[in-house]
Amino acid sequence: MASTACFMIISKNDIPIYEAEVGSALKKEEAAHQHQFILHAALDVVQDLAWTTSAMFLKSIDRFNDLVVSVYVTAGHTRLMLLHDSRNDDGIKSFFQEVHELYIKILLNPLYLPGSRVTSSHFDTKVRALARKYI
Amino acid sequence: MADPAYSALRKMLLDEITPVVMVLPTPLVEERCQKNGLSFVQMLTPFCVFNNIDVPVRTASDQPYRLQKFKLRMVYASDVRQPNVEVTKERLKQVITDAGNIEDSDLYLEPSSIETISTSSQPDFVPTWFQFFNKEFVRSVSFSDHEAFDHPVACLLVVSSNDKDPINKFVDLFNMNQLPPLLNEGAMDPKIPKVFVLLHDNQDGSSERASKILAEMRNTFGANDCRLLCINSLQDGAPAHEPNPWEFYMPNASPDQNLGRLLNKEDVDELRDFVRDVSSKDIIPNMEQRIRVLNQQVSATRKGFRNQIKNLWWRKGKEDAPENQTVNMYTFSSIESQIRVLGDYAFMLRDYELALSNYRLLSTDYKLDKAWKRYAGVQEMMGLTYFMLNQSKKDAEYCMENAFTTYLRIGTSGKGNATRCGLWWVEMLKATGQYKEAAGVYFRISGEEPLHSAVMLEQASYCYLLAKPIMLRKYGFHLILSGDLYNKCDQIKHAIRAYRNALSVFKGTTWSHIRDHVHFHIGQWYASLGRFDVAMKHMLEIVACSHQSQPMQELFMKNFFQILQKTGKTYKIPRLQLPIVNISSLNIVSEDHRTYGSPAAVSVKESIWQHLEEEMVPSLTNAKTTWLDLQSKLLPNKLKQSNVCVAGEALKVEIAFKNPLQLSIPISSVTLMCEYSPNEPQPDASSSANQTVEDGKTNSDTSFFTLSEVDITLEGGETTLAELSVVPRIEGRLKVTGVSWKLSDSMIGYYNFEPDLIKKRISKGRRKAKQTTNKLEFLVIKSLPRLEGIINNLPTTVYAGNLQRLSLQLKNSSDIPVKNLKMKISHPRFLNIGNPETVNVDFPACLEKQKTSSNKDKDIDTTKKSESVFHFPEDTVIHKENTFVLPLWFRAATPGNVSLYLTVYYEVEDKSTAMRYRTLRTHHILEVLPSLDVSFNISPCPSKLQEYIVRMDVINKGLKSLKLRQLSSVGSEWQISLIESIQDLIPSGNLVPGQALSAFLKLKIANKTETETDVWLGHGGGGAVFDTRRAPLVNFHHYEQLSQKTSRQEHESTVDFMLISEMESETENQPPQIFSHHACHCSVSTKRPIWWLLDGPKIIHYNFTNSLCETKLKMTIHNSSSFPSSITINTFDSPPGTSISSGNKVGWHDMSSTPSEPRVPPPESAKAVVLESVPPFIWTGSSTTHVKLGPNSTTEVWLLVTTFAPGTYDLSNYSLHWSLVGCGDVREKEGWYLEFDNFMKKSGFRRREVDRGCYVKNLRSFYIILELKGDVVGSDT
Repeated sequence: MASTACFMIISKNDIPIYEAEVGSALKKEEAAHQHQFILHAALDVVQDLAWTTSAMFLKSIDRFNDLVVSVYVTAGHTRLMLLHDSRNDDGIKSFFQEVHELYIKILLNPLYLPGSRVTSSHFDTKVRALARKYI
Repeated sequence: MADPAYSALRKMLLDEITPVVMVLPTPLVEERCQKNGLSFVQMLTPFCVFNNIDVPVRTASDQPYRLQKFKLRMVYASDVRQPNVEVTKERLKQVITDAGNIEDSDLYLEPSSIETISTSSQPDFVPTWFQFFNKEFVRSVSFSDHEAFDHPVACLLVVSSNDKDPINKFVDLFNMNQLPPLLNEGAMDPKIPKVFVLLHDNQDGSSERASKILAEMRNTFGANDCRLLCINSLQDGAPAHEPNPWEFYMPNASPDQNLGRLLNKEDVDELRDFVRDVSSKDIIPNMEQRIRVLNQQVSATRKGFRNQIKNLWWRKGKEDAPENQTVNMYTFSSIESQIRVLGDYAFMLRDYELALSNYRLLSTDYKLDKAWKRYAGVQEMMGLTYFMLNQSKKDAEYCMENAFTTYLRIGTSGKGNATRCGLWWVEMLKATGQYKEAAGVYFRISGEEPLHSAVMLEQASYCYLLAKPIMLRKYGFHLILSGDLYNKCDQIKHAIRAYRNALSVFKGTTWSHIRDHVHFHIGQWYASLGRFDVAMKHMLEIVACSHQSQPMQELFMKNFFQILQKTGKTYKIPRLQLPIVNISSLNIVSEDHRTYGSPAAVSVKESIWQHLEEEMVPSLTNAKTTWLDLQSKLLPNKLKQSNVCVAGEALKVEIAFKNPLQLSIPISSVTLMCEYSPNEPQPDASSSANQTVEDGKTNSDTSFFTLSEVDITLEGGETTLAELSVVPRIEGRLKVTGVSWKLSDSMIGYYNFEPDLIKKRISKGRRKAKQTTNKLEFLVIKSLPRLEGIINNLPTTVYAGNLQRLSLQLKNSSDIPVKNLKMKISHPRFLNIGNPETVNVDFPACLEKQKTSSNKDKDIDTTKKSESVFHFPEDTVIHKENTFVLPLWFRAATPGNVSLYLTVYYEVEDKSTAMRYRTLRTHHILEVLPSLDVSFNISPCPSKLQEYIVRMDVINKGLKSLKLRQLSSVGSEWQISLIESIQDLIPSGNLVPGQALSAFLKLKIANKTETETDVWLGHGGGGAVFDTRRAPLVNFHHYEQLSQKTSRQEHESTVDFMLISEMESETENQPPQIFSHHACHCSVSTKRPIWWLLDGPKIIHYNFTNSLCETKLKMTIHNSSSFPSSITINTFDSPPGTSISSGNKVGWHDMSSTPSEPRVPPPESAKAVVLESVPPFIWTGSSTTHVKLGPNSTTEVWLLVTTFAPGTYDLSNYSLHWSLVGCGDVREKEGWYLEFDNFMKKSGFRRREVDRGCYVKNLRSFYIILELKGDVVGSDT
């Protein structure tokens, strides 16, 4: 379990539709915006890299000090981004894949408008459980 | 210089890596120079740059080339040393602060949008002071001992002609003690070429003395190295330097200092020529000479295979030497230093090939020696040389990176050098357009020093902006990082600049934390600079920070209010997000001809009211000819479409405010915003609109309308419905434009209603169809009377069956009287109107039976005109201060929640008003709890025709004990009596909660004379019995009857019961509460339509000796059905065996087994006596009798029986057949069947005429055929 891990889902319009602090470290108020800044800045890199590979998992693409940004880009160009300080590539990959599946289930919900915020509490608990398992 | 992109770094290198000339002046020289406001070095500086010096140079390999551009750096000897760290830091800080102050002016402008930035070229938006800062930074690490290009190549000794003993002065000047540490510590060769300069001030007199000294100097130091310099030829005249050559180099000097004011044109020319001479005749040839000498040495010791091997072997041997010695290992005479000097000189003289080869040689040496700083320095130079050679970009970058990392590795001492190296590296990357990489390098440069990091990060951000593709988010992020660092160093202005630029990226972002962070900080900083207005603009962005945690919200709010307070201005913010206005909750209640008694009445669906008022109000067509017509005469046609409200009556608006935060926020002065416009006929619509706006502004606080103000405090996350009202004062047009509220004293938020968004509930009626325009606009009409009605004492919670006396109070506060009142009640079962004339009666007593029945006629008998409207007495007129009271009877009919609607119609006497009538609608909600549950079961009395046994089951389902009082059968057809005493059943008299009671009563059809319809059930016998035939009991009973009615009771005789009970009131003096429970349509008929009874004398004393005994028996037959029936009675003298068959005795058995008839002796008890052989008796007379019996009639048939011997006889062997005549199909007349038939017909089935049990439905493609089967018994034997 990483001490810091911030997971976000960014819609294709660059709007965050889900965010969760899944790290084990105590949450700090300042950290919230810092994590957003780092992930936001990393979108620039994602933009460059996403079209250079056919893989969805882009591995760690950006770093800030000791924090690493790993990104998974779905076919619909929704980006799952994880800011973490651990080096567990395989775990992160599995995490992304399973969250992707969950996200697809959310998309299948006829009441969910794609690109809107994911508010499902079930999704939230599942994601947190996955984070505990893999990261 | 082929590639212009290379110019930036190239220019920088050519500027920075140039030969240094050490200057040693006497104090007198400085004094002379200061007359011009310049130091000696400053005076010479402008002339040290040569764009076209055109000096022939030879390379080491004797290849001639010409130097075109050249630059010298003149430095005082005292400055030739490593700058103090603290001092440089201060200086850099000063640079930044100065830059911040310069930029002050445009700090408050709107940040230019990112699009314009990206298209404009670099110098437009990258602050220019960065260049300056970088240069200063590079200079801060100059004069290091590990690199040679800062080592002075020559020494300028300057003595004034006024100095005493100038020759000795020259000697003194080059005194080792004063020389810079580089020379003293042996890092460089102390034997540097010297130039002896004699400075002559023309103001001090003629140049003769100077010439003399010069001659002397030439003798002493050699002719070539001595120069004479004459200055200050001008006698305090105005200077004519256009442009002033010094201004560019001393930007800080104020213009009135008048730089070089004593120098005339000749002096300037002389200065220029002097420097040119020195550089072309002394310095460059000297350097060239030095290069040759060194090159030869290096070639001799290091070049060639033998030297390589030797060198390698020698260095291997040195490997064990401790590293800390390396610092002083390389003196100027060591071969490594010489190579370095050679390389640097070659670099400075643009012989890059030579420089590169030497650097390469040197770097391997240093690497082997583990002299990392020197190694890094050499690597750095190699990179630069590669760059200058414009070849092998990759090598250049590799070298730079190598140098950079090496510098970083050696710790703090290399930091400055690392930064310099990084800056050069960055420039190199920029030159090749690799902005992204450049930004990365900038990021790596930013070290621990926050201020420097801030600058570097900001530069990095600009690199991201220039990168292709543009990296805006990185740009923003780095600006934020640098802004934070600036803030840490108290460089607020820089911080604001950085954030402001970042705003162009983050403006309108949906990344909530980012947005809040940026706006909050920039707002705070502006506030700290005293720019509260700008600060407020940013703070407003963060007020709705619902996603933040509570401490953050508190922090935000605290700062927000602080800044707001300091601004001292009043803000009016449209659509302020604190609190959030829930526009869909907007509900406007205006009263036109419909007025409401309570808020609850407003929320009732309009259709309910309309249904209720249907019969009362003038109908649509009617209305048109009455008041609407009148209105159209009075008002312009256009206005007919808007809503109407009455002057002086409040227009109520409900709107919900939601607090998005977790803190409680007080908001005050919540009020509506309205516009008033007078109602004069205006032909021009546009002009009226204009006036409306103006009027709204100017008149909002005058007497055209009154607004209500509400203060509310919203707890965290709470939604509160604010009820606002506006009272128009005079006729005209009123428009509700929005709602405004005060968040604090100086923050006013408002929300403008947009007409389309508003769902309005007011006019669902006919005018809604017409009106398509503005729902927020109201036509104010003249003040009208308005009735207010209250129902006094209406309980909110009652037990079912409770009967209470209430009164309706109608009040009219206007001067104009109202008349012609009508009223309608939605649930007459619950609420009944009493006699208006009997206002003052004491309640339970008035129900009691009175001897004189004269009053009965006067009672309002609502049963007659059921479902219709109650008209108030004709002469009822309600004036001002005249309260009209109407008694009402209330009875809680059924348990559950009940909504009672009451509407009162009234007409206005004043004919001139726009409305002739109005209605008052009131709505009441009651909770009715269950109390007694009464059911009746009636079975026929076996022994008597037309008499019935009634079982009454009462159970108390309420929570309080009740006392039974009276049971009545309603109407005068039935009379009831108790079979057993009630005291035996409930000795206590109270029916406690949950207790059940069964009582048996006898019921029979009443005689004409006596009508005992009431039974007293109470204790103590003598209570007054209530009259069930009078209002209100009879009225309520009527409605009960209607509601309990089912379809099958029409042709059956039924009886209605009313159970009256009472409950002790809680307070002592109050009379007990009266309850009435009604059970209607209790059927007395049974399944059989025909009833008969065989009756005769029970015991006959007869003397059988004379003759046979003939007994007359009376059979009474009753047809209770509604059809005529035909009845056949057969008597037969059966054989003895069959006579005992039980089948013939059915009727007897059934009856005898009824326990309620104990007095009837079982007639068959003496059957044993009967003789075996002969029938014990025979029927005489006709054996078959036919009787026709009309509906509901009774007939008597006489039968004769003859007995032969005394005994007890069972006379059961007769049969009675009956059939109903006249109904072809009996089934069809039965209730259930009719119901079924109706249902089927409604569902679209057709009944077949042939087989009447068959229903058919044609569904186009197929039929549904339904066959009705069942056992229906038409007769009973």
